Amino acid sequence: MNNEQASSKELLANYQAKLDEEAREAKKNGKLVCWSASVAPPEMCVTMDIAMVYPETHAAGIGARKGAVDMLDVASEKGYSVDNCSYARVNLGYMELLRQYAKTGVKPEKLANSPAADVPLPDLVITCNNICNTLLKWYENIAAELHIPCIVIDVPFNHTMPIPDYSKRYIVKQFEHAITQLEGITGRKFDYDRFLEVQKQTQRSVAQWKRIASFLKYKPSPLNGFDFFNYMALIVCARSRDYAEITFRKFADELEEKVKNGVFAFGDKEKSRVTWEGIAVWPYLSHTFKTLKGAGSLMTGSAYPGMWNLEYTPGDLMTMAEAYTRIYINTCLDNRASELASVAENGKCDGLLLHMNRSCKLMSVLNYQTAEAVKEKLGIPYVSFDGDQTDPGNFAPAQFDTRVQALCEMMKK
Amino acid sequence: MNRIDEIIAQLSHIASHPAEAIAQHKKETGKGAVGIIYVYAPEEIIHASGYLPVGLWGGQKTISKARAYLVPFACSIMQSVMELECEGAYDDLSAVLFSVPCDTLKCMSQMWKGKAPVITFTHPQNRKIAAANDFLAEEYALVRSKLEKILGTTITDEAIEKSIEVYNENRRTMRDFCDAAAEHPEIIDAVTRHAVIKARFFMEKSKHTALVKELVSELRKQPIKAWKGKKVVLTGIMAEPNGLLELFKTNGLAVVADDLAQESRQFRNDVPAGRTPLYRLAKWWQELDGCSLATNPTKPRGQMLIDLTTEHEADGVVVCMMKFCDPEEFDYPIYYAELQQAGIRNTMIEVDLESKSFEQVSTRLQTFAEVLG
Amino acid sequence: MLTLGIDIGSASSKAVLLDNGTTVLAESVVEAGTGTSGRARVISELFEKAHISWSDIALTVATGYGRSSVKEADRQISEITCHARGIVFLRPSVRTVIDIGGQDAKSISLDERGEIKNFFMNDKCAAGTGRFLENMSRILEIGMGEMEKCHFRSTHPAHVSSTCAVFAESEIISLLSNGVERDDIVAGVHQSIAVRACALANRAGVVDDVVMCGGVARDGGVVDAISKNLGRNVYVAPNPQLTGALGAAVLAFEYAKRNGVSHEQ
Repeated sequence: MNNEQASSKELLANYQAKLDEEAREAKKNGKLVCWSASVAPPEMCVTMDIAMVYPETHAAGIGARKGAVDMLDVASEKGYSVDNCSYARVNLGYMELLRQYAKTGVKPEKLANSPAADVPLPDLVITCNNICNTLLKWYENIAAELHIPCIVIDVPFNHTMPIPDYSKRYIVKQFEHAITQLEGITGRKFDYDRFLEVQKQTQRSVAQWKRIASFLKYKPSPLNGFDFFNYMALIVCARSRDYAEITFRKFADELEEKVKNGVFAFGDKEKSRVTWEGIAVWPYLSHTFKTLKGAGSLMTGSAYPGMWNLEYTPGDLMTMAEAYTRIYINTCLDNRASELASVAENGKCDGLLLHMNRSCKLMSVLNYQTAEAVKEKLGIPYVSFDGDQTDPGNFAPAQFDTRVQALCEMMKK
Repeated sequence: MNRIDEIIAQLSHIASHPAEAIAQHKKETGKGAVGIIYVYAPEEIIHASGYLPVGLWGGQKTISKARAYLVPFACSIMQSVMELECEGAYDDLSAVLFSVPCDTLKCMSQMWKGKAPVITFTHPQNRKIAAANDFLAEEYALVRSKLEKILGTTITDEAIEKSIEVYNENRRTMRDFCDAAAEHPEIIDAVTRHAVIKARFFMEKSKHTALVKELVSELRKQPIKAWKGKKVVLTGIMAEPNGLLELFKTNGLAVVADDLAQESRQFRNDVPAGRTPLYRLAKWWQELDGCSLATNPTKPRGQMLIDLTTEHEADGVVVCMMKFCDPEEFDYPIYYAELQQAGIRNTMIEVDLESKSFEQVSTRLQTFAEVLG
Repeated sequence: MLTLGIDIGSASSKAVLLDNGTTVLAESVVEAGTGTSGRARVISELFEKAHISWSDIALTVATGYGRSSVKEADRQISEITCHARGIVFLRPSVRTVIDIGGQDAKSISLDERGEIKNFFMNDKCAAGTGRFLENMSRILEIGMGEMEKCHFRSTHPAHVSSTCAVFAESEIISLLSNGVERDDIVAGVHQSIAVRACALANRAGVVDDVVMCGGVARDGGVVDAISKNLGRNVYVAPNPQLTGALGAAVLAFEYAKRNGVSHEQ
C-alpha cells in the first residue's frame, strides 16, 4: 500500500485489517497476543513486541455490523445479566464461542455466522480503570476463564484535583510491576531504549489526533464528529505504532485542504452545532448521523475522542501516569463538567445531546449534573435520549428523533 | 433463654432505630456521628475521634424524590440512599465518608444531596503490591486530616491503634457469634442473626462486643438440637429487608454462614500488624478477598464459597443478588460454574430494597427448599 | 383415593382432580386469577363436573402465585415443583421444561428420576412473557388465537430486537409503517420470545425431551420458534395451562401415601 497516495479513509481500513492480521499471524507463529482495555497503556506491551487486540473496538465493530445479538445471547446463557455492559457481554460471548471452537475443533454456528472480525484468543490481558471499574471485572473474568495473566493498571478515581503525587507514584509503581510481569511472561528482558522510542511514537500519534480535533473549531466545520468516531479505532488500537500517526496526519492534512478550499461537512446547510456526550450508538450509527444531518445539526463536540489525548513527556513516568489517570470521567464532577464545557466551547456548540447509555453507568449517572453545570457556564440547552453502545434492544429510533427535534427547537431560541 | 431474648431484643431495636442510637451516643459523649457510605471504610479512624461511626446502608424506601437525580438502573441500595439523602435523613451527621469501589459510587460521591460535608477516598484495586498499601495509607491520612478539620478534633496514631484493638476484638467476637448462631438455628433465625450483625453499625464497637459476647456465652449453654430444616450459606452485598429474611424462616432454611459484604466480609479478617496504624488499616484491604469490589484476577470467591459451604455442612448457597449491582453480576457466572462443578446446589434471589412484597423471592426460596429436600 | 391440585396464577385459576395418583377425573380452568373470585369458582366448577364435595378429597395441594389464599389446602408447594411434577406425569422422558406464563418465563432441568436439578426464571421483565405477546397482539390487531396462523404464513420473519416492552411497541409500529407484512412481524415477535426462553433453557444445558407448558405454549408459533432455536423437537404438554394443578394433585397423592392419609380421615 502506497501511503503517499492512499486517502486517510483507505489507510484507516487497511491498517485496521492489518492489525487483526498481525494478531492472527502472531498466534500462528507462537508470539504473544494481548487483549487490552481501550485506554490502558499499550507502551509496555508494544515494547515487548506483543500483538494487541482491543475487545471494545472489536465489540463496537460487531455492533455496527448488526451482529451483537448472537453474542449477547451466548453471554446470557453463561449467566451474565442484561444489566452488564454490552461491550463486555458481546466480548465474553465471542470469547466463549472461540473457546468452544478451540476445544472441539468445530466452529459454533453463531461464530460462523458472525460479522465479527476474526481475532485470536489472548495469552495475557491488560486492563485499566481510567474509563470505568467495569473493565476490572470484565478482564478479571477473561483471565479467570482462560487461566492467563492479567496486568492491572489501577488509576484511582480522582475525587480531588489536582492529582496528588502519591497517586501518580502508585501508578508508576504499577508500570514497573507490569514490566516485571511482562519479563516473566515473555522470558525476555525489557528494552528500555525501545520503550523510550515507543513513548515518543505514542506522542506523535496523539499530536496528530489532537490536530484532527482542532478542526472542529471552524465554523462552518470541515469535520463531522461522526467521522471522527470512525477514526477512533486507530487511536485505540495503534497509538503506539506509526499506523495511527500516518493515518491521522493524512486525515488532518485533508481537513486542512478542505478549510483552504471552503469544503465543509454540511456544505452551506449547517444550521446548528451539537456536542454528543457519551459513546456512539454503534448498531444505529447511521440513523443517528442521518437524523442530525436532516436537522442540519453538525456534531462538532465530543469529550469521548479527547480521552485519548494522552500527552506526556517520554522518559518521565510520572507524567505518563498523570496522562493515563486524568481522563475526564475519572475525575470529580467539577473537572468533568469543566472538560465537557471546554469541548462544547471549542466546538462552538449550541446544545448538548446526552446519551443515557444503558450499558455504561459511569457515562450516564452523572449526565444531568454535568449538563446542568455546562448550561450554567455556557447557557446552552441539553436533551437526553436512551441508548446503548452495542445492544440494539436499548435504543428506539423514534425516541431519538423526537429528542433531537426538541433540542433543535431549544437551540433556535 | 430470658437473657438471650433480652439481648436479641436490645440489638434488634438498635438495628432498626439508628437515629435513636446516634442521639444516645451524643447524649453520653457530647459527640455526634459520622456516616459511612459503604462498603468498606477505615471506621477505626472515626472511632478514634470519639464520634460514632454509623453505617449507611439505605433502607426499605419507596423511591420517588431520588428519581429526579438518579437513573432507574442504578443499584437498589443507592436508590434508597439517594432517597434518604433527599429526605434529609442524613443531615444530622457531622460528616459523611464515601468510598468509590464501583462506578455508581463514584457518581454518588459527586452528587451528594445531604447537608453534611462529604469526604471521599478511593481504594486501590491493584491490591496485592506493596505500592497499593502506600497509596491507601496516604488516602487514609487525607481522610484523617479532613475529619480533624471538620470535627474540630485531633486524631492521634495512638488513638487509632487503640481503636484497631477494639475493632479486632469485635471482629473476633462476630466470627464467634456466627459459629454459635450456626449451632443454634432454632434460637438464632435469619432475621435475628442479621439484626445482631447490623446493630454493630450503630453502636460504639466495644459496647456491641460486650453484648454479643454475653449472647454467645448464653447460646453455648444451650443444648444442641438437631435441625430439621435445611442449612444455607448466603453470598452477595446484603440480605434485607426483614420481609425477605422472614422467608428463610418460613421455608426452614437456617443461615449457617454468610459471605455478605454487609456481614462477614466486614469481620472475617482482622486488621493485621504493620508499621503505622494507617498502614495497618491499608493492609486490611489488601488481605480482603472474595468480594466483587476487591479486584483479584484469580477470582478466589468460588473456592471460598465451596470451602465455606463444606465447612459448615450446608445444603446449598443462596445468592442474594443486589439489583443492578454490576460487580456482583460479573462475579456470578464464574462462581456459579464452580459451584455447579463442585455439586453444590444454589439458587439466586434478587435484593430490591424498595420491595414491600416478596412473592417472587418466596417462590424461589420455597422451590429451593423443596429441591434440597 | 382422590387428591386435588389447585393452581391460582396471576391471570387464571386451575384445578385438577386425580384418582389414585394415576387417573385424571376432572379439570377446570377459570380465566380469573389471584385476588378474584377465580379460586372459589374453579373449585365449585370442578366439584360440579365430578359430582363430589370436600369430604371426598383425601388431600389438597395448592400452588401458583395465589397459593397462600387457598385456605382449604393441606399443603402449599411452589409452582416450579408442581409444573415439573405434572409434566413428568404426562411425559416421564422429559428432562427440560420451558414454562412461559402470563408474567414470567422459566426453565427447569430434571434428572432421570424426574427430580429438579436446577431452574431459572425471568420474573421481573415483560419481555419474553405472555404479557409481551398480549401487548403485541393488541398493537398488531391480531387475536391471540390467530397469531399461530400468521406465524406459519410468514416468509421473511422480521427482526424484533428490543428488550424493553415499550421500545418493542415502538419498533413494531415502525415496522408496520414501513410496510412490513403482519405475518412477518408476528414471526419476529415469536422469535423474540423464543430467544429469551432458550437463553433461560441453555443456562442449565438443554437435554431431550424438551416440553413446553404455560399459557403461551398454546401459541404454536412460539413453540415452533423455540424448536428451531434449540434445533430440537419440542413437545407441548396437552392442556399446558393445567400442568401446575396436575402436578399439585400428583404431589398430594404422593404425600398422602407417604403419610398414610386416606379419604376416610
